[in-house]
Parts: sequence; structure tokens; C-alpha cells
Amino acid sequence: MSDRVKIALLLTPALLVLGVLFSGGVLAALLQSLGYFPAIGMTEFSLDAYREVLGSRDFLDSLGLTVYIAGASTAISTVLAVAAALALRRSSGRVSAVVFQLPITIPHLVAAVGVALVVSQTGLGARLAAALGLVGEPSEFPALLYDPYSVGIILTYVWKEVPFIALIVLAALRGVSEELEEVAGTLGANAWQRFWYVTLPLISPGVVAGSLIVFAFTFGAFEIPFLLGQTYPNILPVMAYNEYRDIDLAARPAAMAINVVIAVMTALFAALYLRLSRRLRRG
Amino acid sequence: MSARLELEGVSHRYSRDEWALSELSLAVEPGELVAFLGPSGCGKTTALKILSGLLTPTGGDVRVDGRSVLGVPPERREAAMVFQKPLLFPHMSVEANVGFGLKMRGVPRGESGGKVETALRRVRMDGYADRKPGELSGGQQQRVALARALVTEPGLLLLDEPLSSLDANLREGMRELVKEVQESGGYTTVFVTHDQEEAVVLADRIALLFDGRLRMYDRPQAFYERPASREVAEFFGTANFLPGRARNGTVETRLGDLRLSTPTPPGEVTLTIRPEAVRFEEGENSFAARITSTTYLGTQVTCGLDAAGVQLKASLPPHTQLREGDRVTARLPAESLWALEDGPEGQPG
Repeated sequence: MSDRVKIALLLTPALLVLGVLFSGGVLAALLQSLGYFPAIGMTEFSLDAYREVLGSRDFLDSLGLTVYIAGASTAISTVLAVAAALALRRSSGRVSAVVFQLPITIPHLVAAVGVALVVSQTGLGARLAAALGLVGEPSEFPALLYDPYSVGIILTYVWKEVPFIALIVLAALRGVSEELEEVAGTLGANAWQRFWYVTLPLISPGVVAGSLIVFAFTFGAFEIPFLLGQTYPNILPVMAYNEYRDIDLAARPAAMAINVVIAVMTALFAALYLRLSRRLRRG
Repeated sequence: MSARLELEGVSHRYSRDEWALSELSLAVEPGELVAFLGPSGCGKTTALKILSGLLTPTGGDVRVDGRSVLGVPPERREAAMVFQKPLLFPHMSVEANVGFGLKMRGVPRGESGGKVETALRRVRMDGYADRKPGELSGGQQQRVALARALVTEPGLLLLDEPLSSLDANLREGMRELVKEVQESGGYTTVFVTHDQEEAVVLADRIALLFDGRLRMYDRPQAFYERPASREVAEFFGTANFLPGRARNGTVETRLGDLRLSTPTPPGEVTLTIRPEAVRFEEGENSFAARITSTTYLGTQVTCGLDAAGVQLKASLPPHTQLREGDRVTARLPAESLWALEDGPEGQPG
């Protein structure tokens, strides 16, 4: 038996689960979004659900918020992660690296609860600020949860995703010889120029990969905005969830249409970003 | 444009008792090419890093045109460095690599284009402007690295063994190129190498370093003709050391009284003579000897000689007829003998 066949056989159980459950789910969602839902007697294909979703004011509000949260979380996380990776690059301390990477192991749900405990108006942060005299009463602490700027959500994402991106960037940095930066120095490049023209282009594949994963995740993730977000508007995945939960099963195609839109949008943004980063890399 | 460089008591240590460089003092005149020569770990690369500003010495001062440059970061030193490896920026074209220094200085694109072209032509790499470093051979990459360093017309050019990563056949061409470019541009240049031949061929003056200390700083010929110490003579391949006592213009040795053409102060001395200076003929300073060994080296034959219990080495042309055991008359020409003043410690084991 050739190695190739062996590997294929060994992978079969995993591929079966993935194929049936995941691809099956995606296919079912796609069919339902197109109005094909035999369980409730809908057997005609149509674009009604898309028309309804894309034409609604709720959808546009939600889309705007989703792009804002995913974009802001990704941008802030990426900048901080690159800075952190550069700082950690020369430190040989295992402890700092372990502590730094701790958030990766903590589930998003737990992170959301943690952030809520710290930044809510009855939380640690508010009480500390009051104790220090920065605000008169804890309740005067600015509202960072369920707020229109989604500060709590973005904070949670940043706390979770900075170490994740930094881990990828650190691996990329290991492939960049510090001598290249020394050469740049002797050629007249100051610290910022060395970073911008030499280091960043060389680690950009890592930075792009890390931030792309984070963007795709934050664009489609449900739990943190569900827990920490305002009631209206909320992000697309929460909107889809609410439609899905609707007692009227006829709302199901709309829920699925939103999901498909999320997937398509993520792919579009990713393609745009890749193109842009390639152009930047070429200088 | 080219700068005068002075080092004064420059010392550096990486840890409490690990001195990489101690009390290095020397001056490099404008347009001069000086080689820092020594075995690995002698501190020569440390010295170069100090000159480039990549390393701050623990003691001493570095002056360019009379002004101390300690505390001036590399990017403001006007000292371009070529490293052992080409270290081209892999994501940039050859043209962008060479133009890097100009771009960092804010030179407008129109003006830098011509300078990049000229620099590439000087290293004979014109026509490669659009290539990526990965598409070039090692020798071509090193030439681009040289052009990249030259394009900003640095006051000081620092070369850290730029030939050592090249194959032997490429090395000679690159060596000539470095010499040519350095002479035509008149850059004050410091060149680090462990290869004495390279230093002799390229340098106006050689600074020989052992264990972080400067042992001799002079023109290349001086290292052969009048080495400062036995160590220096040995590094340059002199294997002949003969203890003696100087008196009345001659030196009394086991081979008889030998005359030197340079005056020698009286006292204990060690005479040296290069193997290639030993003659097989009658005349002044001659004595009877026996051939103890012959080694064929392609371009020459090295013979071991025994004369009155003194072991000497001589180099002969490759077609020599001498064989082991032959009895000969050898002569040490007065103008080739040099007396080291390190006295008894210089005596052969």
C-alpha cells in the first residue's frame, strides 16, 4: 500500500465528519437562503430573502457596525502586536513570552466576562477610578459596555488577538536577520526608516496572515458582540442569530442569507487587503 | 569628502574579563586603505563595528576629521559598511538596494537614478538594475553591496571581510575591483581580514591585531622586512629565528658572526630571515648546512636546513635539484637579516 493511500485512509474519518457536517451545513444554509426549505413546504428557489435582507435599513446599520468593529479590532490588534513582537524579539525571557501568550488559551466567552468585570460602570476599573478621584462616583465612569462605539467589544478582541498576531509576527521576525537592519543603519536609515523600509516589508506576510485571520474571525464571530454589544444595531452574526431564533420558521431564509452575505463580504475584504498589502510591499 | 580617522585608546569588553579590544590607537589618513589583520577573535570586527557606530566602545575615543563621533548613531556617521555577507534587502530590486542610502537621505528620485546607474557601472553590474537579489550569484550580490555602500559617497568605507564568502576565483576579481573603486573614489577605507595575502595586496598600511591589541601598524613590506616581534614574523610566515649577541656591528651566532645591513644596538637579539631570502651560495654570512627535508608546494619547494644544530627553513623555485641529505653552502644576505629586540624570550624552543 503506498504512503499516499495510507494517508488518505487515515484521514477518512476526519474528512467524513468535516465533509458531512461542515459542507452539509454550508450547503443547507445556501439552499435555505435561496428559499429552498422543504421542511416548511418552501420548494421554490428565489432571491426574496436576499432582496429583503439587503434592502432593509437594519441590515445596513448592522453591516456598518460589523465593518467598524472588525476593522478597528484588527487594526488596533495588528499595530500593538507588531510593536509587541519587536519588543519581545530580543528578550530571551521565557516568562514574559508565556505571560504574554496567556490570552490565547482563554476562551472568548471568558475573556468577555473578564473585560465586563473590569470596564463596566460597577466594575473594578470604575471603582478604582473613583478611589483615585478620577471620577466622583463609579457610575460616572464612561460607559464602555453596550455603548455605541463598542469599546468593550473592541477591547476584548484586542486583548485576545494581540498575542495571536504577535505569535505569527514573531515567527516571521525570526527569519529576518538583524544584520539587515544594521546595514540599513550604516546606509543612513534611522530607526523608523529601518522598520518601515526593511523590517516591515519582510515580516508583512506574517502580519497580513495574522490580521486577515483576525479580521475574518471578528467579522463573523457572534459571542462577544452578543454579550457586550448594544441592542440596536448589533453586528451581522447577531442579527442572523436573532432571525434564526425567530418563532416564525419563514424567517429562516433571511438568517441564512445574512450568513452567506457575511461569508462573501469576508472574502471580498480579504481579497482587497491582500491586493493592497502586495502593492505596499512592492514599495 | 574622504575623512581622516583617529582611534585613541579604544577599548571594548563584552563581559568583565573578556577584552575584545584594548587600547587601540592609530590614525588613518584621508584616502588611505588600512587593513585590520589578525586571526579570528583578535578584535578586528569589533573595531570595525565601533567605527560604524553599531557598537559603543567601553573606553577611548574615535574621531573623524578631529571631531569625536562617539554617541553618533550609525545612520548619521557617513560611514558605509560592506559586511561579510552581501545582506542585500531581499524584497527590493538591485536598483532599489543601491538607491536605498539616497532614499533615506531624501535625495529626489530624478537625481538618485543617475547616481545609482553610475555606482552599478563602477562595479560592472549595470544591466542588472531590475533583478532581485535572489536571482544573482554570490559574487554579483557582493558587488551590488559594494555599489550600495559607495552610492552615498561615504567619508569612510568599512569592509568586513567582504571577500571571504566568495570562491577563490571570484575573490581575486573582487579584490581588484575593491582596490580600483577605492583608489578612484579616494575613500578612506578600513578593511578587516584574516588573510594576510589579501591585506598585503590591498592595503596601504596594515594594522596587525592579536588578542585585541595592536602589534604592528606599518606598510605591508615592513611586516616582511622588519617585523616588530617574533609573533608578527611568525604570522607572516617567517620560520627562521636565530638567537645571538650584537656587538661591533655584527651579531655573534652559532652560525658564526653575521653582518646586518641595518645597525643593531648591542645586546641579546633574535635574528630573523624570510625563507625565500636564504641563498645557496658562497659569500658573506655563508655557512655549511645539510638538507633535512624537502616539501613540494607547486609554486615552490620548502627545504629544512640543519647547520651546527640550528634549524632553518628556505624556499626554492619548484625545479630545484636538491634532495634530502645533500650538503650545501647557505648564505643569509645581510640586507635580509633583521634583529628582533625581544632578546632571550625569542630563543627557539
